Amino acid sequence: MKLGIVIEIFKNVFTKPMTVLFPFERIEIPERNRGEHEFNIDTCISCGACARICPNLAIKMIEVPSELREKYPKTYPQVDLGKCCFCALCEDICPKGSIKLTTNFYFATFDKDDTILYPVKAE
Amino acid sequence: MTEINEQEIAGDFSMYFGPAHPGSGNFSIKVEMRGERVLKATADPGYLHRGFEKLMEYREPMQNAVLSDRVCVLEPLQWNLVHAEAVDYLMDYEVPERAKYIRVILAELSRIQSHFIWYAAMSLGTGFMTGFNIAIGYRDYILDVLNLITGGRVYPAGYICPGGVRKDLPEKAENKILELLPKIEYMRKFALKQNPAWLARFKEIGTLTKEEAIKFGAVGPILRGCGVESDVRRDDPYEIYDELEFDVPVMDEGDAYARFTVGMQEIEESMKIITQSIDRLPKGEVKTPNLKPIVQFQKAEGEIYIRNELSRGEGAFYMVATGQKTPYRVKIRGPSFTHMIPILEHLLTDVAYADVPAIYWSMYQCPADVDR
Repeated sequence: MKLGIVIEIFKNVFTKPMTVLFPFERIEIPERNRGEHEFNIDTCISCGACARICPNLAIKMIEVPSELREKYPKTYPQVDLGKCCFCALCEDICPKGSIKLTTNFYFATFDKDDTILYPVKAE
Repeated sequence: MTEINEQEIAGDFSMYFGPAHPGSGNFSIKVEMRGERVLKATADPGYLHRGFEKLMEYREPMQNAVLSDRVCVLEPLQWNLVHAEAVDYLMDYEVPERAKYIRVILAELSRIQSHFIWYAAMSLGTGFMTGFNIAIGYRDYILDVLNLITGGRVYPAGYICPGGVRKDLPEKAENKILELLPKIEYMRKFALKQNPAWLARFKEIGTLTKEEAIKFGAVGPILRGCGVESDVRRDDPYEIYDELEFDVPVMDEGDAYARFTVGMQEIEESMKIITQSIDRLPKGEVKTPNLKPIVQFQKAEGEIYIRNELSRGEGAFYMVATGQKTPYRVKIRGPSFTHMIPILEHLLTDVAYADVPAIYWSMYQCPADVDR
């Protein structure tokens, strides 16, 4: 019994560690991983279904900045990642597939405004 | 805060075990001490109350599926399943056969990773850091597969949804699950190794008799560790459990080590269930055909009490629908509540203070589930 533990220790000396050296090596992120939203304003029909189903009220339908209002006259979803629970219900409900969750999960920021995803940004 | 009682003997005082204790989790116990002995313990829950029952009354079933993960962080897929079954009954959904198999596979994977956390927490509580690190490391292999299937490592975000599951298994997911099984078996054997320090800490500690367990309402591995053969998967089968072959491990000792051993033996049974389910996995749809993205109880009326065997024992949802969009009333029955309040208070009388973490973690607690 006690020898078993010693053998175990020696086996572990020669095996690969469970962890990786993060910034240099990264583990593979599966395609389905629910991360940051990707929004395509050109296919959006402003139905508001995403804002309606969001369990955390993280999605708000807003108007775009005044200089772009001629091109995009309706209201479009703005996602607050600080409130989002990454359930992907918005992705499931979107009839045009305009809102999708990407695999990006690097959100660390010093500025709270960075957590808000605007439908389109004024240039 | 330590309080000294001047009226009594000089060695009498009371103090708190948790919530800041490294081995306590979000839970606290007020212990009345005489020297090194614990005379009486009073459970002090409420540090993780989030009010799920009320929140669910304001949300539609699909949104509640997302919320149901968080009832217990350590076994989210199983809580997803109980919630989905309650809505399936009220909405009269026919769940496709393939979805039932996927539900069972994921619930069992969730049970195994939860049992690994049990081993990790028991190790941490008794100062065995190697056990903690190894168990959390092996749990990560399971989380990688859960991430591949559900898209989230810990929170599946309502993957097991009303009417089936949200997405079909990705390519090669079955192979990935089968590749996991030898790793799980290695970890299970490691946890059951006759470690003398481990035996000294857990053998004949916190003994609960069969009668007491039944009287206080113990469920799951805690009840089975006292010699009562009780398992919802066997007694009241749901999904496809009636078609599968598995044993219900039982031990008669009733001490902390017996409870833990039952848990580790259950991992073997879960692996049997996963292997059988993957062998028999049928092809077809994974959602009921008439399922819409927005589920509302507008045509549903009635009530349901549905129970499942979670990792920690019997968990249940009581749900009432009265034709409104949202459920009229939701009541959650979690397994940890009876373990953590009446049974823990009973076991922590006249024990050495050093045994408190050992008894505490042998109850397989989840403060999130106690407070809800």
